[in-house]
Amino acid sequence: MFNNFFKRQWVVPYLFLAPALLATIAFKLYPIFIGLWESLIYTSFGGGVEKRSFVWFENYQYLFDDPLFWQSLKITSILTIIINPFQIALSLGLALLLMRKSKFIRVIRSLYLLPIGVALPIATVVWGLMLDPYQGLANGFLGVFGIPPQPFLISEDQALWSIIAIATWKGVAFWMLFLLAGMEEIPTQYYEAAKIDGARPFEKFRFITLPLLKRTILFVFVADTATNFVLMVPMIILTKGGPMQSTNVLAFEAYRSGFYYQDWGRSLSIISILTIISLIVIGLQLLFLGENKEDRVK
Amino acid sequence: MIKHISKNWSIYAWYFIILIGLIITIAPFWWALASSFKDNVTIFAEVAPFSFWSMVPGTSLDPYYGIFQKGFGKAMVNTFFVSVVSVIGGIIINSMAGFAFAQFRFKGDNILFGFILLSFAVPADAIAIPLFKMMRQIGWFDTYYALIIPMLANGIIIFLFRQFFIGIPKELMEAARVDGLSWFGVYWKICMPLSRPVTLGAGLLLFVFQWESFLWPLIAAPSPDLHLIQVVLARFSTEYAPIWNQQFAASTIAGLLPLIFIYLFQKQFVSALTGVEQK
Repeated sequence: MFNNFFKRQWVVPYLFLAPALLATIAFKLYPIFIGLWESLIYTSFGGGVEKRSFVWFENYQYLFDDPLFWQSLKITSILTIIINPFQIALSLGLALLLMRKSKFIRVIRSLYLLPIGVALPIATVVWGLMLDPYQGLANGFLGVFGIPPQPFLISEDQALWSIIAIATWKGVAFWMLFLLAGMEEIPTQYYEAAKIDGARPFEKFRFITLPLLKRTILFVFVADTATNFVLMVPMIILTKGGPMQSTNVLAFEAYRSGFYYQDWGRSLSIISILTIISLIVIGLQLLFLGENKEDRVK
Repeated sequence: MIKHISKNWSIYAWYFIILIGLIITIAPFWWALASSFKDNVTIFAEVAPFSFWSMVPGTSLDPYYGIFQKGFGKAMVNTFFVSVVSVIGGIIINSMAGFAFAQFRFKGDNILFGFILLSFAVPADAIAIPLFKMMRQIGWFDTYYALIIPMLANGIIIFLFRQFFIGIPKELMEAARVDGLSWFGVYWKICMPLSRPVTLGAGLLLFVFQWESFLWPLIAAPSPDLHLIQVVLARFSTEYAPIWNQQFAASTIAGLLPLIFIYLFQKQFVSALTGVEQK
């Protein structure tokens, strides 16, 4: 009887699908619900005994009363507003530069793609030493031009910018790869026709490249935003959220609440808020960029 | 004549911008590589004030000797083990799912495909903390299971295999079915052997994902016996902060291996990542 079950046609695709689907549900979907559920629970350690109690939205209430949370939200907002357009513009500009024909273009492209192979922790450690205020290469190099040494990561004013620089060094090559692949897909006939019509380079970009690259740019924008929203590796390794909370983004605050202070209710409240905000931001971008598509093509 | 000059000017401007970009892209890693063969006094002396020699590799192997005394070898072995098992397991379960989506029409196929793709739009780091709680509940915390099993299913790779399997002629599979081959036989004996390029690309992606993973191994497997390479590197940078040359040596080893793989199989890697066939 069991044997018969497996011989039925309709089960076959589900059997093939089962391992990956179950793993996706268990390790991608279920944790989101764990996060939401546990954010409603308060854990206390009275006399060495862990005591869990369901407290409705008390964790959130404490969070909203905490100036540290609002400071952290502010830092996250600043980071999001600056880093995403910056990275997209830079990778788009670089992709355009690398579409140019040259004898060395293959080598140049390969070298530009190098940071893709360098993991973020490596980039963070190496850049951390690069930006060392006393013995770092960055200040050594600035000194050649007579610029005084900068404090970079140990300064309240420069730390967030330094982290933006590190994440951008690592990220731009990755996003550019998608834009380059998208640009290569555009038929060259379009550009040849535009050339015959006397189009200037900017017009070619504005009326051919940009509209046809829309889907790729949209994908890159959404994926980049989602990635940077949980950017915390440089903070974990280098700044620990400081100096003076200046790099304490929400993702890191969640990490710190959980792993430094064992305050899991707080940690998972922040994670849940982060997940909800990022879904809204991604939804808005899809809506906004999706609407504009119509008039651009005309 | 004027046109000629202006054209040259634009080429020079292009080379100039490209060169500056190249310096910013390569200098950090090159400096790390060059300094990983020097003693710390030399590194510091060559940087401030800046000297050209800071970019010339030294000859000392002591930093490398030093990191292997600090347990770097163990981390490399762990990372190899976790990466290789992930590549094998990941290729099997994702290609099977890709086969299901490419080969069959079934109830809910579009919804399930959309669900899988969408669930991978949520960044892994966002669910790392709840996933960590889950590992504690099911007793996988601080084991190889936690490092490997949650990382196996991958939407990008399911998508890659689906795209490839759609391109395989249906007649081929129908003929095999008529000859009495089971569906699993069709998948394993006909489709998988044909999909070598996509398997290579997918394997490379899975390998690099694991080799570069940091946050998950950091929180899911804190005991030193299970440390992976990125975790050890980050630990060096705090525990042995003044020993720069060893941090550079660890960075060089951790960074070089994926770089070599990616450059050897650049075509397959880029195709796998972007989903666009490379010429």
